[in-house]
Amino acid sequence: MPVYIDISRCIGCRSCEVACQRVHGGSGHINVHFVGDSASVPIFCHHCEEASCTMACFSGALHKEGERTAFDVEKCTGCGLCQLACPFGVVRANKIAHKCDLCEGLAEEPTCVTTCPANALSTDFELASRRARSRAARAAAHGGKR
Amino acid sequence: MIKVDASLCLGCLSCSTVCPSQNIIRTQTGEMRSIHWKRCKEECDLCVEFCPAKALTLMPFDETVPEPDVSFDLVACKICGSRYATEPMLRRIESVLPANLQKDSEGLEWIRVCPVCRRNIEAERATRQMVLGRSRKSP
Repeated sequence: MPVYIDISRCIGCRSCEVACQRVHGGSGHINVHFVGDSASVPIFCHHCEEASCTMACFSGALHKEGERTAFDVEKCTGCGLCQLACPFGVVRANKIAHKCDLCEGLAEEPTCVTTCPANALSTDFELASRRARSRAARAAAHGGKR
Repeated sequence: MIKVDASLCLGCLSCSTVCPSQNIIRTQTGEMRSIHWKRCKEECDLCVEFCPAKALTLMPFDETVPEPDVSFDLVACKICGSRYATEPMLRRIESVLPANLQKDSEGLEWIRVCPVCRRNIEAERATRQMVLGRSRKSP
């Protein structure tokens, strides 16, 4: 289950970056980008269904495991093709590939999700639309004012 | 000893990364990447195995054969102009990805854009969508 983001909630505190670095021995896979004064946007792997990085990886190090785009460090040759094949620029290659592993084997839930103080990150795809529906319901109960 | 088929080499540096004896030397300046294979006596074929392009083969040690060299111009990102990859690497990506994945939702041919600009574009688009969403909500 990939991590989803509601950027209208992100406060740009970069806690997700620190949490990711803590769990992955100092090298994190999530970066908060600041777009002018308008927004802060955590950028990380989408675990794409049709993952370009897995198509470019000739050794089978990057592969799909269900919804997750998994990485087998033993098979990585460090060629860097995955980095060039990622449309979002979120696979890094520095001798070996580095990307989000959803904290598989490291934590029960992705650490960025459990750390985010603003609840901007979630593993629940439906969460954003449920929040919108409940806001609408509250608004209706208060005579249309939100 | 290693024989290199320069026409197949992508310039990816896999061989140099895996070589346990540092016999494959990489040099990179701002616009150019060069790889130099030293004459090697090791009984090891890691570089051959790890080459994504199958450009390397083992051959018997021969002092008279010159040490191979390959150089690549690095391709400039079409947005920021920074040099980020070799042309054969980008061609390889273009040959393995289906055509529909090579353009994004706004028609951008992203393979020719460097990873830093790709991340910036992603952040800017997400921001645009959020701002649009907010302006739709407000009366």
